[in-house]
Amino acid sequence: MGFTVHFPVLIVVVMFFTAFISPLLYRWARKLAAPAVLSALVAALVMAAALLIQVQQTGTYYYHMGGWPPPWGIEFKADPLRLYILLVVISVSLWIFIYALRDLGHELKTRVIGWYYTLYSVLVGSMAGIVLTNDLFNLFVLMEICAISACAIISIKEDRECLEASFKYLILSAMGTGCFLLGVVMLYMATGYLNYGYLYQALVEAFNFYPLNIFTAAALFIVAFGTKAALFPLHVWLPDAHASAPSPSSAMLSGLVIKIYAFALFLMFYEVFPRVVLEAIPLSEIVLWLAALGSMFGSIYAMLQTDLKKMLAYSSIGQIAYIFMGIGFHHSLALVGGFYHIMVHAVTKAMLFMVAGVIIYSTGVRKIDQLAGIGRVLPVTMVAFTIGSASMVGIPGTGGLISKWYLALSALEIGRPIFVLVILASSLLNAIYYMPIVINAFMHQDEFKKEVKPVPPVMQFCMVVGMVFIIIFGFFSKPVVTLLEQAAALFF
Amino acid sequence: METLQGIIDNYYYMVAIILFVIGMYTMLTHSNMIKKVIAMNIMDASVFLMFVAVGYAHGSQAPIIRDNAEILYANPLPGALILTGIVVAVSVTAYALSLIVKIYRYYDTCDYDEICDIRSQE
Repeated sequence: MGFTVHFPVLIVVVMFFTAFISPLLYRWARKLAAPAVLSALVAALVMAAALLIQVQQTGTYYYHMGGWPPPWGIEFKADPLRLYILLVVISVSLWIFIYALRDLGHELKTRVIGWYYTLYSVLVGSMAGIVLTNDLFNLFVLMEICAISACAIISIKEDRECLEASFKYLILSAMGTGCFLLGVVMLYMATGYLNYGYLYQALVEAFNFYPLNIFTAAALFIVAFGTKAALFPLHVWLPDAHASAPSPSSAMLSGLVIKIYAFALFLMFYEVFPRVVLEAIPLSEIVLWLAALGSMFGSIYAMLQTDLKKMLAYSSIGQIAYIFMGIGFHHSLALVGGFYHIMVHAVTKAMLFMVAGVIIYSTGVRKIDQLAGIGRVLPVTMVAFTIGSASMVGIPGTGGLISKWYLALSALEIGRPIFVLVILASSLLNAIYYMPIVINAFMHQDEFKKEVKPVPPVMQFCMVVGMVFIIIFGFFSKPVVTLLEQAAALFF
Repeated sequence: METLQGIIDNYYYMVAIILFVIGMYTMLTHSNMIKKVIAMNIMDASVFLMFVAVGYAHGSQAPIIRDNAEILYANPLPGALILTGIVVAVSVTAYALSLIVKIYRYYDTCDYDEICDIRSQE
């Protein structure tokens, strides 16, 4: 075994270490900087895969930081569900990084690219940490690291919109972390623990003595994670931040960062608060209705946009709502649907932002109405956009259908068919704003007038990978769904 | 009466909550960005105050173990955690201020409403 026992923490440490060396490499050995980050991501991916195989054989694995056992020491937990999310995070960020290698030179000044690698590695490392950690205070620290690096990969572009958008994002996410830490204090007052597992047991008894503390903590957690994951009424920062950022950053933020916070909220609901608390207050119900509203309003706002990246950003608000629905239904099928959607939407939305980046790179167009006829000059790009839109709508043969299918099934299982209607209606709304772009791009009789630069092969390769995976998710969902069913069974 | 006595006994929690609300309100409503950052710090400090207060018991001493074990010690864990929290808050503040400097160079103002006016005139 040897050092394999340290894999959970090594995944985080490798990324943070790369963050430190990449600007130095960029200054003194420029050719090595990008391969260093790439190899760190590959190493993290291999470690996560090895952990998943090990966990499936021997069961959930706990790692004690520095040998200090909980409740005092920090604990990392590796179970199939967390490792699944971790694999999604690392593999999608590896894929986006390959795309970024070509796109960054176009969007950023050359001297800051080394710093971009730093921020990117820190972001991936902190997300991996958020997924793996089993300690509330550690979660707080990693969330702040994630927030700062997520804001910084927007503001690194240094134009006016990016700076304003990242300031807004920073202020709202600081509000989120403030609320989160206050909630942590409330739970610590009531129980004296910060470890998820210990809290879960201690809260059952503490709930009799300090119900108000625990209610407040639950409310604060919903506000905190809702703000950070752009749950419907708290989404105001998202469109500006995700639309103005450089395209690889948009892909990263929309594809992964918001979902990590949704996953953290899931952990709070299922691993920290015991069932008695959730039965006493309708927390899931609140999340469920906000998600239902979000899935409608996100799409309605998206229809009104004229800027392609803004439209994609608003569409994320509608899509993150499905993941929250998966959490709110309190049913194992819904969890399968929600978590499948984390993977599908991460790939799809990242690919759509790549498409937007390619369009901006080769033609400079950002407005939707100027895209008429673009499908004939950028065929691969627009085919990728078509498949991505199909997955957003949930057309059979794409990954989007599978997650919506499971969500709708669980809505029927718990006897609330109204949510099937919500899912159907929001799918139709998605179709209303995605399909005209596709039709306009291929069928419009006018020729595309602007000058078109050829698309670099790396970018095309990345889009083709995205398309292939979306279709694989649509046709061969069995292995992932089996894994998720096993993981979800642990909670019911 | 019991409630009042409870509030008096635990006045430090009340102070923390009042500061938290002041900070959050100012952060979300004021248009001046510097004030937003100051309010963010007030909010963070209030949470830290509350966390440290949780670790204190009436009449307890600093947790340094001496010969006689009969002394009541304060819980050292919240203090240790809050040190980390302060570091995090400082780095967020530094980053926010650097953003304000950059924004000021573009607009010659750090007032959010004025920036919106300038942008709408363009």
